[in-house]
Amino acid sequence: MKANPEDVFTGVYYIDGDVACAYGAIAAGCKFLAGYPITPSTEAAEAFVRRAPEVGALFIQMEDELGSIAAVLGAAWAGKKAMTITSGPGFSLMMENIGLGAALEIPFVIINIQRGGPSTGVPTRTGQADIMQSRWGSHGDYEVIALSPDSPQESFEFMIKAFNLAERYRCPVMLMSDECVGHMTEKVVIPPASEIEIEPRRFYKGPKEDYIPYKRESDLVSPIVKAGDGYNLYIIGLTHDERGYPISDEEALKKDLDKISTNRYLVDKIRKNRDDIIEVVEDQIDGAEVVVVSYGITSRVALKAIEQARSDGIKVGSLRLITVWPFPEKRIEEIAARVKGFVVPEINYGQVAFEVDRCSHGEANVILVPHGGASVHDPKDILGAIHRVASEKKRYENVIEYTTGLEMSVFGKRLAEIARK
Amino acid sequence: MKAEEKNTELVVSAFHDALERTPIEKTRVCMVSDIPFPPRLIRPLGVDFFHTTRGRAIPFATGMKLGNPKLKVVVFIGDLVTLGGNHFVHAGRRNMDILIICVNDSIYTRIAGEELPVKLERIRFSSYGSFEESFNIPHLANSCGAVYIARWTALHKEELSGSISYALQKNGFSLIDVLSQKSDILEFYHTNSEVREEEDTNNVAITEDKKIIVGKFIDRQRPTFIDSYNKQLSRVMGDKFVKIEV
Repeated sequence: MKANPEDVFTGVYYIDGDVACAYGAIAAGCKFLAGYPITPSTEAAEAFVRRAPEVGALFIQMEDELGSIAAVLGAAWAGKKAMTITSGPGFSLMMENIGLGAALEIPFVIINIQRGGPSTGVPTRTGQADIMQSRWGSHGDYEVIALSPDSPQESFEFMIKAFNLAERYRCPVMLMSDECVGHMTEKVVIPPASEIEIEPRRFYKGPKEDYIPYKRESDLVSPIVKAGDGYNLYIIGLTHDERGYPISDEEALKKDLDKISTNRYLVDKIRKNRDDIIEVVEDQIDGAEVVVVSYGITSRVALKAIEQARSDGIKVGSLRLITVWPFPEKRIEEIAARVKGFVVPEINYGQVAFEVDRCSHGEANVILVPHGGASVHDPKDILGAIHRVASEKKRYENVIEYTTGLEMSVFGKRLAEIARK
Repeated sequence: MKAEEKNTELVVSAFHDALERTPIEKTRVCMVSDIPFPPRLIRPLGVDFFHTTRGRAIPFATGMKLGNPKLKVVVFIGDLVTLGGNHFVHAGRRNMDILIICVNDSIYTRIAGEELPVKLERIRFSSYGSFEESFNIPHLANSCGAVYIARWTALHKEELSGSISYALQKNGFSLIDVLSQKSDILEFYHTNSEVREEEDTNNVAITEDKKIIVGKFIDRQRPTFIDSYNKQLSRVMGDKFVKIEV
């Protein structure tokens, strides 16, 4: 299905990543926003609120993030494409209902413009430390999809992708942007609606009396209906069977296949479809001795280091994660067998680096280039790590941390001072 | 059957009667709760039922109402104002068009002290009885701006379903405080209650030495959230604004 022309503000803009997110959401057909202002994501909500009422969308500034995410779930059941916009502390408050959204298989999108953490952290500066939280933040087993844009243009495009994936797989989808991308102003081209592909909601089309809320189609996703359409829905957050009825009795489970819990499908519908979901951008992987794995703003910083390393004569490839979750496990495994090692720069003290290490099964060295947040990497550090991997003779079992210039000049000195005393 | 469940049944059956006697399309009614009612209680009602996370039924209902303003959203909550109390306050302030049925078993409260035939044995954590004062829930709702407020015990079946039926047809944030407990205590509530219509909510706190005041306390009009939203955005955006249809 093509986008609705009214929803698409076709044109060439000079806007920041936050605003681009909002325009992307509107283009994707998002008709409901519930949120609570938080730096550095507020501009996205403001931009949505400025324009969305022109196309019949509704917004509400809730009392807090707990309420915001709950309202998003309610609006999504009522039939609207719905989202919330937040940053670290708000994201933490949303965790409980992200779990409910996953369990009830509600299609919805969360924009997280990441900032420094933990806790209040550095509200006005960047970070990439919510990546693991986006995957594991709520209790229980479920899978989500997370996308990571590196520019305002991608912020626009990935919002459409995010809504499409949410509708396709009936799961939470997170746009894991960050303060740098969010506040970076660049040219953004919004194409005509006829060039934007939109995934419509998978509405159930059979007879009303035959509707079973979690009856799956061949891709393990079940069609959905709207609240108030006479389906006598029974939707609960307890572990349920495909009718939505609670399950707590193991004996009944063994006897009656219909009473199988749907939990298995919460992970399988993503895992079994991962080849359709996973997206990466690769550059010169063939023949590379070092591969830089990066995502979001860090992949732009890494470009400079990669160029320099290439002119230094090192064969460097680049693998950029568009979908951070699900993770491109198979691809990393394949590459690990052929290269000396990976360099993983990220604005945290190691999150995706450990995933890369897990998937390389000891076949390649993994060097983490950490960063404590509040700014981006110095490309020199990434370059240093590339040189280190290229010249490394030894195979390390674990992730090695590259000591960056910042680490040396700040923490190194302090450590030496402490040691002297 | 557990005693508490039986009392929930009393409230649900009053809700059922209210649905039957109200000229409202049942399929448009959505029931949102933060506790899971069993399917056998819910399915016969013919409404859609959503069980959310604890304390978040009100914002979930808020989203549902705004997602489709044609729905009539009814929220069942427990002793409220513990988890999610803030949502209650703000939904009232906005005059969000939802009906809240507070199934109030007062486990956090000391009611009528020694005079109870069976003492209320516990706050959930405490084996030593309750010692906290209760919220005056109708008064709280009043100060938040609710447009309809009533209180009944679960044994006031006729009055309760009448109130629910009336509130279902009312636009705006409505609250019905239903006292519900184990049957012996419920009997005690019922016999110790006094109907006082239009009573000032200041006087309806449940305390040790007073009768439990029940009745309809508030019935008024205020613009709902969607009314105010449409008014403000039309004023500022003019023709560009696409009105939210109710």
